[in-house]
Amino acid sequence: MDVLPNFSVTHAASIDDIVRARAAAPDSRLIAGGTDLMVNIRRGIVAPSVLIDVSQVAELRTIRADADAIELGAAVTLAEVAAHPGVQQHFASVAEAAGSIAGPTHRNMGTVGGNLCLDTRCIFYNQSEWWRGAINHCLKTTGAICHVAPKSRGVCFATFSGDLAPALLVHGAEVEVGGPAGRRIFPLERLYIGHARQDRPFSETLGDGKSYLGLRPREFVIAVRAGRTPGLISGYDKIRIRRSIEYPVAGVAVALRRDGPAFADLRIAFTGTNPRPVLLAGTETLRGRSFDEESRDRLEALVRDQVMSMKTTFTPGHYRRRVASVLARRSVARLFERGESD
Amino acid sequence: MNAPLESGIGGYVPMVDGPEKVSGRARYTADLAVRPGTLVARLYRSPYAHAEILEVDVSQATRLPGVRAVITGADCDRTFGVLPIARSEHPLARGKVRYRGEPVAAVAAVDDATAKAAIALIRMKVRELPAYFSAAEALAPDALPIHERKRGNIEREVRFEIGDVAQAFAEADLVQEGTYHCPEVCQNQMEMHAALVDYDAEADRLTVHATTQTPHYIHLMMAHVLELPMSKIRVIKPHVGGGFGARTETLNVELIAALLARKTRGRVRLVVTREETFLTHRGRPESHIRVKIGLRRDGRITGVECDCIQRGGAHSGYGIVTILYAGSLLYGLYDLKHVNYHGVRALTNTPPCGAFRGHGTVNVRFAFESLLDRMAEQLGLDPLSVRRANLLVPPTFTDNDLMVNSYGLPECIDWVERRSGWRERRGRLPRGQGLGFACSHYVSGASKAVNPGSEPNATVKVRLDHDGSVAVLSGAAEIGQGSTTVIAQTVAEVLGLGLDRVHVISGDSDLVPTDNGSYSSRVTFQVGNAALDAARQLKTILLNAAARRLETRVENVECLGEHYRAGAQDTGLSFDEVAAEALRGGTIVVTGTYTTIPESHGGKKYLGAAIGGTMAFSYSAQVVQVSVDEDTGVVNVEKVWVAHDCGKALNRLTVEGQVQGSVWMGMGQAMSEEMGYHEGLMVAANMLDYRVPTIFDSPDIEVGIVESNDPHGPFGAKEAGEGSLAALLPALANAVHDAIGIRFDALPMTPDRILAAIEKRRRGHA
Repeated sequence: MDVLPNFSVTHAASIDDIVRARAAAPDSRLIAGGTDLMVNIRRGIVAPSVLIDVSQVAELRTIRADADAIELGAAVTLAEVAAHPGVQQHFASVAEAAGSIAGPTHRNMGTVGGNLCLDTRCIFYNQSEWWRGAINHCLKTTGAICHVAPKSRGVCFATFSGDLAPALLVHGAEVEVGGPAGRRIFPLERLYIGHARQDRPFSETLGDGKSYLGLRPREFVIAVRAGRTPGLISGYDKIRIRRSIEYPVAGVAVALRRDGPAFADLRIAFTGTNPRPVLLAGTETLRGRSFDEESRDRLEALVRDQVMSMKTTFTPGHYRRRVASVLARRSVARLFERGESD
Repeated sequence: MNAPLESGIGGYVPMVDGPEKVSGRARYTADLAVRPGTLVARLYRSPYAHAEILEVDVSQATRLPGVRAVITGADCDRTFGVLPIARSEHPLARGKVRYRGEPVAAVAAVDDATAKAAIALIRMKVRELPAYFSAAEALAPDALPIHERKRGNIEREVRFEIGDVAQAFAEADLVQEGTYHCPEVCQNQMEMHAALVDYDAEADRLTVHATTQTPHYIHLMMAHVLELPMSKIRVIKPHVGGGFGARTETLNVELIAALLARKTRGRVRLVVTREETFLTHRGRPESHIRVKIGLRRDGRITGVECDCIQRGGAHSGYGIVTILYAGSLLYGLYDLKHVNYHGVRALTNTPPCGAFRGHGTVNVRFAFESLLDRMAEQLGLDPLSVRRANLLVPPTFTDNDLMVNSYGLPECIDWVERRSGWRERRGRLPRGQGLGFACSHYVSGASKAVNPGSEPNATVKVRLDHDGSVAVLSGAAEIGQGSTTVIAQTVAEVLGLGLDRVHVISGDSDLVPTDNGSYSSRVTFQVGNAALDAARQLKTILLNAAARRLETRVENVECLGEHYRAGAQDTGLSFDEVAAEALRGGTIVVTGTYTTIPESHGGKKYLGAAIGGTMAFSYSAQVVQVSVDEDTGVVNVEKVWVAHDCGKALNRLTVEGQVQGSVWMGMGQAMSEEMGYHEGLMVAANMLDYRVPTIFDSPDIEVGIVESNDPHGPFGAKEAGEGSLAALLPALANAVHDAIGIRFDALPMTPDRILAAIEKRRRGHA
């Protein structure tokens, strides 16, 4: 790792502090665990003059989960989420996702807000300044083309790899953000439609790796919340090349509810495949069906249509799509079986 | 608490430098106290893969306030390289750049920010040339030479045939051939490369602190490149955070720091980044290997043919040795009679490869053991029986004149067979689960050192002084492998003393005798023997002193370590009393040496046949158990049984640690490590994308130590740090085949490759 450039750090004690600090330094960035941001600063990808430490803002430290609902403040650590009995019991996908992120030390430092806003990743982007300069940079920074897809016409394919987002999407989570114009709450999936594309329906965008967050200028995540649907059970699984200190090759969260022999509800979300987390559209067509061969084929077709296969990591894209499908099928089967006994 | 420690030979002895490391007190090069005025160095690296340098404009950088010196290739016209016959590399590129990342200019400035700013002001104008990123491209008939003196981009071509291979194949019941691909891998040692160099202008003297396995080679090369007598240079090796071969030759890092120190007439610190440590490279070359074996129904190997093409990178480094080892170490493991080898070391526009743990043998062994497993299956033979049908009978010389005196391979095979339940379990595991087997070996020190004039092979001094302590002065480089501990144990054992009486001084050329350093697993064998010699000399002196005091003949004196006596009834003398008598003539310094015997120097049957010559080989046999998820391609390495013949385990703790480390490192190459390139740019030059297995990926490893007691080894010992790496790769691939019936001839076996092979087979069956 290269040496860090100079920057100053201000410690925020409240949401208002954050808003003021951001206004005072437009190029500032929020920091809590720093597990994503510091690497990018060292690599010269971003060079904020001010870091606003939000790790001690009381409101962002809220963690609450019970049979009715879950609320996670942005500065709650991933280790805290993974160890919370209420999260484990009622929002299993969230606990399982948090507990499998990177390695133990990352989870002690990394936070909910950081993982939800995790910068998109690509082998042409997560490199040193010298490296990126040697191929005239890329679309995600200052370059003219996307090296993954040189004919992409302005679309960046850098991949979203956060594990928490899919785990929360299957629980129908909402996100609360704060900013200069106050607070607003919206469905979590809208966080991943680049700000410039907010006018278009979610289903019509594949996401964009460069403009990957739906935050307006100087906005930031305060908390994520979801209500609990009675009977809904969930889980999270992923493929990694090695079992720790690794981003997912493909991650899948599943939540479902059974009504006797059939699905009453089925939600599936992916990470590590597209520029945004993918909440699979069309799973409602499986309602009323059992998890038979026909259901499995339909599921596979949905995955094939919506999960991308760009080579933004060392691992071939088609493998990611293939195992995304396998993981989805397995997780659904596992939960479908469990749903019967619950 | 303070009970004296025994020497612990044959036991489990914690490393003597362990406490300072685990407590954080140990200082590595980058930790050394930086006094005011120390300058910070940074490098400007080529963004081009292959280009003629038209101009390197450093004028703006030089003018930046706080910059004390900027140097380029114009500042040094000397080339360096570990092999005297292949010094192709300039510390800073001159005339041409040959790989992306090659150092072109260097800055010394008052602080890091200034140095970084200065680097950004350097401009290079070039005329780009066609670049060759694979051996095939570089070896194409119309390729431009990367080095003028190497037409055709061939660093070295090796050919030999010993025996009659065509006839041998004619006599075989089955002749099969396979092609194998091993990607480039890097050592990725924990500590990044660093150098801290002082230039004393009044004395015209350099003091170099560097992260190295071979301080003496730095000493030699520093003198050559800076055109200073060696007596004007002091080389200090602080604690080193691993090497695995990456630091067995002088690197541009220390040379550039020294050039800057002399230019600024001051003190310069250069600590490179993780990416730059990868770029400095010296890893294992990408290899394409074709092997052909003739096998009889009784399991006898009749003949072997092997072609090996290595992508060596832009400079020579150890390349000639690597391509020679790949051929010569076909021998020494089994009794081979007819062998034909053709090796080509190619120069390419990628960072230069070097000597990676298991130097030269690992990729060829993967190919050989994989093919042998396949052929055993085709003839319906047990893979273990095939090996047993081809054992050497020691003492012997192989057909390429390698000396083998001790040979614990049969016991290694027996041990893993028994411990793994091979006979009962092989072929009876559920689908998706499998067992694989393979063997390997490695040298216990190259018998002839790389550089001439490095004889004897090892020298150790032992000093007894009036404080009653025994100091061992050794040039052996402790790099975490335990050399300091084993030397202390050896001396303590001979003198019958506890380890608390003996301390080792090493790593400073002003204090210790010259030593060739830590490579080719030479330290325990060669330095250990020199330490043994020195300790025995001191013991003779002490026995004589005791005899004088006890007024008896020396034959009557018994040494009990802390106590000397003449007969069981004698109250005798304490060690301190004996030492006082011995020291009447002043401080005692004895010099122990070790010289390998000419019979171990390899042969002359082909050019370079000395490579592979060693006093002894270690042996390894392994059984690996895996399970494979056929839907995702994920392989779980469940268990490894590994038996290693190290002659005699001087310290079982470090032997087991080294063998486990070999298994891990082999598993990295087999499963997940791979240095890929995008147009000559290293894609995975960081610890996230260069996937070294984590502890979560580690299988349970059961280590069996086989002691064949080598007649020449110190206490019978041989090497323990490298020989068990190579067998892991084919044993794992053979286990995957046993599990799912697919053979993998390309590494690493990442889940995507496993799944692609499974799906290809499904389509074939459909």
